Amino acid sequence: MTPSASRADRGGADQIPGQARKTALHAQGRHDRPAPNPYVRGLRPLSLATALAMTLALGMVFFYAPLEAEQGFLQKIFYVHVPLAIVALCGFVLGGLLAIVYLRTRDPRWDMRSYVAIHISLIFAVGTLITGSIWAKGSWGHWWVWSEPTLVSFLIIFLLYATYQPLRFAIEDPERQARYAAVFAITAGAFVPMNYVAVNLSTAYVHPRVFSSTSNLPGSMALTLLVSVVAMALLFTTLCKYELTAKHTRFQLRALRRRLLEEPA
Amino acid sequence: MLAEIPALPLHTAGKYVAAAYVVLFAIVLIYVAIMALRLRHVERDLAELVQMSERTEQADEPAAREMTLT
Repeated sequence: MTPSASRADRGGADQIPGQARKTALHAQGRHDRPAPNPYVRGLRPLSLATALAMTLALGMVFFYAPLEAEQGFLQKIFYVHVPLAIVALCGFVLGGLLAIVYLRTRDPRWDMRSYVAIHISLIFAVGTLITGSIWAKGSWGHWWVWSEPTLVSFLIIFLLYATYQPLRFAIEDPERQARYAAVFAITAGAFVPMNYVAVNLSTAYVHPRVFSSTSNLPGSMALTLLVSVVAMALLFTTLCKYELTAKHTRFQLRALRRRLLEEPA
Repeated sequence: MLAEIPALPLHTAGKYVAAAYVVLFAIVLIYVAIMALRLRHVERDLAELVQMSERTEQADEPAAREMTLT
């Protein structure tokens, strides 16, 4: 057999290993530029903006916003607890909206985005519950008040979403897993605003909050709350982007490993 | 209800406010620590893959040289 013929015979088999090797070297940054991770784009400016916004929000909370007349310094918890709750609830709704896009397109990237939005919202919800309990202890003398509809409804939402991951990972088939998770995310996502409305309509109890609504906040307090909400939303977006980047990188590595293992040594 | 509750003095309220903000920073810190751990795994996997790829490359080289000679 001539060398050229031999090479031609081997051509088909060499194609995949060659590409796999190239991709591995790409990932190591030795040869050409690696295939860009779509979630990395804008991550650095976003992280910087988040750090700046968080610093600004903290500065405004402690040096700009006035002390509240009734609760005094304790009311400063309001600027961390409320933005955490708002962003967590919006994140749950966002997870549902992204799940709708997944069901319409059947593109697994949308399923991953929906999963990440719910995952980060769940972390924020834990933060909301802990900061809320601390605030309750400081102002009411109790860590938890079961007769308070706002607290209990938030706990119900949290527990509902706490079942999302066990449900998701109990299903082995990836397609079915994504479909079931999407249906769950949409149903639970619709429950969030309904729950909010139901709590607001419940006039039997009055939530002992500092202000009956944010509209009667003094200007400086409202501005501080707004900046805090923006900072928290930026933090949420940054964490989501980091999570998506990490997941995408892991998938790429897994695919690369599979390709390298398929290659005959 | 809150109107009936007197404001806590600063030294009492301070610890609750500090605890609430520490919770937020702890959440972010724990998340960053988890991300760092994941990054270490990714780096380890990547190094393993590069080694695998280099081994395959070395195994291919003598075969290619042999073919060129024949």
